[in-house]
Amino acid sequence: MSSSAQQANLVQQTVKTPRGDPAISISNLSKTYPIPFRRMRAFFRRPVKQPVEALRDVSFEVYPGEIFGLIGRNGAGKTTLTKIVATLVQPTEGTVIVRGYDSVRNDEHVRREIGLAGAEERSFYWRLTAEQNLLFFARLHGLRDRLAKKRMQELFARLELEDAAQRRFGELSTGNKQRLAIARSLLANPAVLLLDEPTRSLDPLAAARMREMIQSLAQQDPPVTILFTSHNLAEVETLCARVAIISRGQIRAIDTPASLRNFTSRSELIHLTVSGIDADQATQARGSRDDFTVATTNRDAITISFSRRSGDEQLDDVLRVLQQLGARVLDVEAERSTLFDVLERYETDDVET
Amino acid sequence: MNSIRLLPRRIYAFIARDFRLFVSYRMQFLLRILSILTVVTTLFFISKIFAGFTDPRYSQWRDPLASWLTGLAVLNYFMTGFSSLANSIRQEQVQGTLESVLLTPINLPTIVVASSAWDFLETTFFSFLYLFFGRVFFNVHYRGSFFLALMFLLLTTLVLASLGILSASFAMVFKRGDPFGIFLGAGSALFSGVFFPTQLLRDYAGPNLGRVSLILPATYGLDGIRQVLIEGHDLMQVKDPLITLLIFLVLLLPFSLWVFGRAVRRAKREGSLIQY
Repeated sequence: MSSSAQQANLVQQTVKTPRGDPAISISNLSKTYPIPFRRMRAFFRRPVKQPVEALRDVSFEVYPGEIFGLIGRNGAGKTTLTKIVATLVQPTEGTVIVRGYDSVRNDEHVRREIGLAGAEERSFYWRLTAEQNLLFFARLHGLRDRLAKKRMQELFARLELEDAAQRRFGELSTGNKQRLAIARSLLANPAVLLLDEPTRSLDPLAAARMREMIQSLAQQDPPVTILFTSHNLAEVETLCARVAIISRGQIRAIDTPASLRNFTSRSELIHLTVSGIDADQATQARGSRDDFTVATTNRDAITISFSRRSGDEQLDDVLRVLQQLGARVLDVEAERSTLFDVLERYETDDVET
Repeated sequence: MNSIRLLPRRIYAFIARDFRLFVSYRMQFLLRILSILTVVTTLFFISKIFAGFTDPRYSQWRDPLASWLTGLAVLNYFMTGFSSLANSIRQEQVQGTLESVLLTPINLPTIVVASSAWDFLETTFFSFLYLFFGRVFFNVHYRGSFFLALMFLLLTTLVLASLGILSASFAMVFKRGDPFGIFLGAGSALFSGVFFPTQLLRDYAGPNLGRVSLILPATYGLDGIRQVLIEGHDLMQVKDPLITLLIFLVLLLPFSLWVFGRAVRRAKREGSLIQY
């Protein structure tokens, strides 16, 4: 099977998995940014740029309570896709349905269902305090002041923003600004949350707490559906049930992080650090393996490296031989492919084609 | 239905936000009051030069200070009606907050009304100051029905706000360089009779240039307000400018809302909502 056919198969396979009505349903979505006044420019013989194709025939579904990751390089189309779901950009073709509402025809209804926390710092009023900013947006969502203030207190506590509440937005640290954006997105208890790099400016501890909060939102009752974009692939791997890889405006694969890793390479490289035997004795564990290497780490230990397919019996076989030789295993390391390898592979494929 | 029910809360949200932003620059408020007092005082002394020279043909200009003060107060209001929405859209674009506002479940007419609400309150206060300082410090007398004058003010402001919506549509699509702003901004002060009677334009600049004042809604608004406040005319006597303003409103308001809706859709198609 060719690489592109395998990819298509991978996309099809998971999209068809039935899990009730999807919270977000994206069908054949394309977006080409027009060049303003193109005909006028051509008429006056001014240089005319080509329209920018940001998305091409994108289709996938996100189910209630799912954390769905969207990864890709800068300019791959992640932000455009998020903005179309948020009704801020209109698609050229295709549809986005959020909890039964069309993002173009019922945009006001869609906006009632979603919260968006973007990476854009300028989306707040810098001379207003954090609390005044949130109160303004809560009122636009139609919340009564008493309810809005109660909700704000909960969010300030949950996001550890109590000390920042009375400070002007312009005086907040970058991390607090980002947390405030998350708080704003949660003001109206949205059923669907769009998160664009939510931990980008947070310190490691705050980022870990943010990840816990995102997980808890997806598990609460009723659950929040989360469309999550990030360049932190380890974070995507930890949080997301499924991940879509987007490259040059097209979805190249959708699956669980584990399946995506296996799709690139089902093998892993095992490194065993052992003592009690020498390098010559260790070669007895080679068997018929071609990529079996032995290196002396220091005077007392050697490192044996070999590759295996995930879940096969090669590791057991090698360990059995080493045990018979009287070796003591000091350390075991496995080098597996990551989402980075997967992303890199699709990028390389795209450049080649 | 839900949007109509929530409209007052949303207008209040914008007013509260803009009030907070306004008071975060306290000095500006005091200086503006001072500058209005300075202008009124200066006009008082200039009006003394013309004492006894008023042409009987220009009945609204027997007391030039009263005419200037009503002209300035009303022009201030008209300019707000005309420029408030475009300025507010431009400011939100520059700040980068327009997307955040449009991300809330708020419809276009609400944005149009709510984003200008504070500007109107602020202008009402400052416009009132022109008349108040004239009355208290320089003994300027106004007569006629204040209710009728207010009706003229409201109607003219709505007509100019319709043009303001067209101007905001330009801001949405072209970002800068709005022809309505240039034409109405410079044109209203010169052609609407703010500082001198429009008849003078016809007498000195010829009938063609004199006709420009006839296509400006502000001319009818100012004429009506002065007829009421300075000449003490009643409803029947001011029906002509009133009907003209109503025709302007019926034609311009639906058209401008339609254009604004298209401008927002275009900006969404081009992905340029926060560009400026």
